[in-house]
Amino acid sequence: MSVSRRGFLQGLGVDRSHAADFMAARGHEEFVALMQQGRQGGRGMGRPNLPPGVEAIRISSNENPLGPGKAAIDAILGKFPEANRYPFNSTPLDADLEILIAKLNSAKRENVVLGVGSQEILKNSARVFMSSSKHLVIPSPTYGDPAGFAQNTLKYTVKTAPVTEKTLKTDLSALLPLVNGAGLVYICNPNNPTGTVNSAAEIKDFIAAVKKQSPTTAILIDEAYCDYATDPGFSTAIPIALSTPGVVVARTFSKAYGMAGVRIGYAIADTATMQKMAKWRMPYNVNTFGVAAAVASLKDPAHIKEESARNKAVRDFTIKALADMGYESTDSQTNFIFTNIGKTMTAAAFRDGCAQKGVMVGRDFPPLEKTWARISLGTMEEMQKATEVFRSVLKSSATTTSGKGR
Amino acid sequence: MALTRRNFVQTVGIGAGAALSSSIWGRGRENSVWSAFEPSLQAVDRGVICIASNENPVGPGKKVLDTVRSILEGGTKPGRYSNQTGELAEAIAAHFKVKTENVLLSEGSTEILRAATQVFTAKTKPLVGTIPTYEECAGYAELIGNPVRGVKLNSEFKIDLDAYLAASKGAGLVFYCNPNNPTATYVGAKATRDYLQKVNSSSPETTILVDEAYFDYVTDPDHETHVPLAIENPRVIVARTFSKAYGMAGLRQGYAIAHKDTIQKMRAFVGSSGTGSLNVFGMAAATAAIQQDASFTTNERNRNKAVRDFTVKWFNDRGMKPTDCQANFMFVNIGTPAKAFREACRAKNVWVARDFPPFEKTMARISLGTMEEMQKAVQVFGEVLAKKSTAAA
Repeated sequence: MSVSRRGFLQGLGVDRSHAADFMAARGHEEFVALMQQGRQGGRGMGRPNLPPGVEAIRISSNENPLGPGKAAIDAILGKFPEANRYPFNSTPLDADLEILIAKLNSAKRENVVLGVGSQEILKNSARVFMSSSKHLVIPSPTYGDPAGFAQNTLKYTVKTAPVTEKTLKTDLSALLPLVNGAGLVYICNPNNPTGTVNSAAEIKDFIAAVKKQSPTTAILIDEAYCDYATDPGFSTAIPIALSTPGVVVARTFSKAYGMAGVRIGYAIADTATMQKMAKWRMPYNVNTFGVAAAVASLKDPAHIKEESARNKAVRDFTIKALADMGYESTDSQTNFIFTNIGKTMTAAAFRDGCAQKGVMVGRDFPPLEKTWARISLGTMEEMQKATEVFRSVLKSSATTTSGKGR
Repeated sequence: MALTRRNFVQTVGIGAGAALSSSIWGRGRENSVWSAFEPSLQAVDRGVICIASNENPVGPGKKVLDTVRSILEGGTKPGRYSNQTGELAEAIAAHFKVKTENVLLSEGSTEILRAATQVFTAKTKPLVGTIPTYEECAGYAELIGNPVRGVKLNSEFKIDLDAYLAASKGAGLVFYCNPNNPTATYVGAKATRDYLQKVNSSSPETTILVDEAYFDYVTDPDHETHVPLAIENPRVIVARTFSKAYGMAGLRQGYAIAHKDTIQKMRAFVGSSGTGSLNVFGMAAATAAIQQDASFTTNERNRNKAVRDFTVKWFNDRGMKPTDCQANFMFVNIGTPAKAFREACRAKNVWVARDFPPFEKTMARISLGTMEEMQKAVQVFGEVLAKKSTAAA
């Protein structure tokens, strides 16, 4: 193996020759990961310095490895002459995107609020629905942005309930005792990092139970990965959100649509709830290129179907490869998998071992970081190579461990 | 509410949506810029002259857009996330000869205006702004429930520095938009410096946000950026945007320059400290834009000044007095409500002049398009305003 140990930890200087070699598919997840590794902002955020000719396989941030579809890229190129126009003067308008999203969901424009990625939606939900006396309820683990913003920036309280043992599904019944008086309940469905879904029926019952128990508590359902779900029991909560005050669904173009770097997301809910969210929306928040790309993407649903099918084949392959090595994964409905490697090593050891061989996998997800690793799904070719690296890392660690006594 | 813009945004969005449903695709007016591109790359010719939003009608230029294009070409294969926020911050820092710790990137300048309002105002520490001015800070202060203290402009539609100084005492944040939007007037460098110093001594806890969005358009010889002061003085912040002279309103890039402690305070409320709020096209474009030599902004300033002189003269010749315009828009006394003027112009495919209370009964804000656009636009103004005087007579 020609890849040396230098690289990941010491080779983080940015290589200017790669300035153009980045793409729309890389997004906020990347930053969260790098922050966790203690390298804030600036020049520290780069990729490992691998020997010439060796490409790092980056499967750490749940990105679509292929980026946006052709329709989206063509749309962006077509908008170059409108770089100078605010999104309310461009063609299409940001309003046109809202109208299209509404139409595709049998809703009205006033049921939709655009965000800079879904990040703005998640943050604004905390601002709209929470206060110092109205806490956040989340499963643990889940996507960390809402809790991080609520706790660290706004200094609000966060209450958590662990996911179900073994399946690692979000345990909705464990959340219920925490919701009384809460400002907001955040559920990610499918859940990041566990990859699991809660069925449409479970979600429906949960919403009803929350509303009965604590009528003023809002519920935010983050469906970032919904386009990758293939379990027939899963379906979107948008119809419930449209008919139930205080239930918001967040969506993003960062995942299956391959546009994490484009920064477009949206919230959808009943009119009164969206009016509250709209007040917090930054004016002209979405960029004109992104609006055009999002509109073009929504008009090309076949591309998303293909992307979901492509991803499922890669997912099935990767889960099976790890199962063959003796490592079980959760029932992933996303573009990443969550695998129990605990009998051999921790997520950190796995991550470091893989990084040394040019494969970058997911960060720690406490409280499961001692046993579970999150692996995003690249292309089939990337995962064929990556699973070989997994095999060697998991094997070499066993050797290292047994040799420890010497 | 005089200081907020929310209703306006709502109205424009809906109205424009309806108007555009009938838009047609055709050759764009900036085709010369695109000669190096495939013929399939076409702008939208909406058949309108859009001089309503203080945009640069020419755009960022080929060099910048070529950079964006190179990303898309790389993006058709699996590319890698690059630390573009770092590169952009470094490019900005190098441009101003400051450190990256003095730079905070943001989604347009909006995030900066919001973060500053969030961090520096409180229930007991109001926001101070002129009436009228750009509305984001006041709108956000209202949203978070903090008081807003409005100060009238002087008779020249300029910031009344004595009144402003008095109002600034005890304020959490003073929004100092210079040139001021929508009045286009500019307070000279020395007078601003004196004002900032006086606020510092009379109200040391007050932070002043100097919004230099239109700075590159100023031709008054007594002008200078307050960036050097901001990096030394924790109570002064300069906000900048790529939406105006750099022609990138659609790409949503802005930044603050300030003392590192001040930047640090705002950072938690700005999503850009990563890739949270900045899109890759905008970051790449902004990086390329600010690395251009000074001739880019000089040329844009000169181009705009020629158009401005032409348009100002047209109004002066007809007895309608504009303010001393130092931006890429003008504020002119048309002697008739902006609403009627706006609607009549819109019917003739010229988009112009939203309301700016308390001056909406007589004053119109007119953004400056290209010379060709303004030559056509003044003909429309002539027809619309003549009709008005006929009707009045």
